[in-house]
Amino acid sequence: MYILEQLVNGLCQGSIYALMAIGYAVIYGVVGLVTFTYGEIIMMGSFSAFYYFIAFGDNLLFALVAGFITAALVGVIVHKVCYQRFLDAPRYISLICTIGMSMFLKNFATLVFGSEMKGMPTFFEGKFISLAGIRINYLQLMIMGIVILFSVGLTVFLKKTRIGMKLRAVSQDKKAAALVGINVKNTTLLGNCIGCGLGGVAGILLGVYYNSVLPTMGGMAGLKAFSAMVLGGLGSITGAAVGGVVIGVTENLGIAFASSGLRDVFAFALLVVVLIVRPQGLFGKKGN
Amino acid sequence: MLKIENLVVNYGYISALRGVSMEIKENEIISLIGGNGAGKTTTLMAISNLVKKAEGSIVFNGINITKMEANKIVDLGIAHVPEGRNIFKQLSVEENLIIGTISDKKITRSKVNEKCEEMFLLFPRLKERRKKPGGSLSGGEQQMLAIARGLMMKPKLLMLDEPSLGLAPIIIEEIFELLQKVKTDGMTILLIEQNATMALNVADRGYVLQNGEIVLTGTGKELLNNPDVKKAYLGI
Repeated sequence: MYILEQLVNGLCQGSIYALMAIGYAVIYGVVGLVTFTYGEIIMMGSFSAFYYFIAFGDNLLFALVAGFITAALVGVIVHKVCYQRFLDAPRYISLICTIGMSMFLKNFATLVFGSEMKGMPTFFEGKFISLAGIRINYLQLMIMGIVILFSVGLTVFLKKTRIGMKLRAVSQDKKAAALVGINVKNTTLLGNCIGCGLGGVAGILLGVYYNSVLPTMGGMAGLKAFSAMVLGGLGSITGAAVGGVVIGVTENLGIAFASSGLRDVFAFALLVVVLIVRPQGLFGKKGN
Repeated sequence: MLKIENLVVNYGYISALRGVSMEIKENEIISLIGGNGAGKTTTLMAISNLVKKAEGSIVFNGINITKMEANKIVDLGIAHVPEGRNIFKQLSVEENLIIGTISDKKITRSKVNEKCEEMFLLFPRLKERRKKPGGSLSGGEQQMLAIARGLMMKPKLLMLDEPSLGLAPIIIEEIFELLQKVKTDGMTILLIEQNATMALNVADRGYVLQNGEIVLTGTGKELLNNPDVKKAYLGI
């Protein structure tokens, strides 16, 4: 039973990683570069929710929407500072700029919000349902539900709308996208904002799940999101989602068998093994 | 319709175009021929503003497009079918066509479908593969898809970069027949080709590009019979 409960914990945590990784994959797709600021976007989303809870009461739905928008707005700043100015410059300049941006945001948060850990409100007061003897928290169910909702929403948006089609086109081939009349600059900005927004939502879920927010929480979160995306195959949204769940489950099963201090070891060891066996990731295509 | 004056493009220290001037009139087929590295592709890229121009001006239907953003140039009615096709490999064949209409905000769903069907009439092979990802098509089919995508944009000027590259002779013939067909529908075509015989046969006028300069110009027939062209590009 303990193993099964850890599996449920893993699925829940994995779904948060999945949402982070999906956001990362969207950004990687449209911008064409990995970003080191993503962890801090997650952190900013989480902190914004912390203040929304204080200001407007413990309304999770409002916090999610407002957190999405806040993170997206931070995404606009990242875009203006790190990408837009260096469009014609060598790509690594943008990359290094995102490292600087990450440091800036982390220290900005420490200065403005304080370096101590802050508590998030609890939801459902730890209520749970028992399914064949396994305890599943309402909170866990809700988190998984929200992640599924956002993932399905994003998929429909990308597949069925004209803007979604533009985003996919820009992700695949910027030159061709410009030649069919797509405004590549604006579409990239939009994609970056959507990715950051999703990261922000994931950050809120992470904060609510662990009941805490910290200015330095972004480092590990960003790394997990990146690992999940690489595990799934760079830029593949389905892959990112699966990668996130796989990492979450591996971590928690690892805890079940060994000590919880080794949590991150399992996640990254898995990543290394997969990359040796299947360098293109679980869902990636060769040569991409 | 399109007037290019004294176009200069540099890649670092290398100048790809050294003062190219051309004019394209309404409903003409213009062929631009020349060897490797003569600057043919660069000329098209410069018109679409995908490369930075050092000097020169490009005017399309009275509008100066020299410094206009690439997507706005498309909106004015210039469709560029790039070399290497640049189709969207992970979009389906049908989506690749639909995306040709993406800059037309007012277009209705039924109008888009109608246009897709038109393309499937021209290229029945694409219809069979409409749900398949673009990357799964053969080279010839990808070329057809790229041209069809260009036609979906209902351009006033269609620019084709080496449409015959790597294709079987029978498909090349099909494509050139198609070009003459769309010309009778009132479209203007700027064609880049290494296959000079074919290109000059369908062309109203042609330009010969060498080392980034226009060295010769004339009607398609004149150029076909020009001894220099014969020697350099036709292998006669």
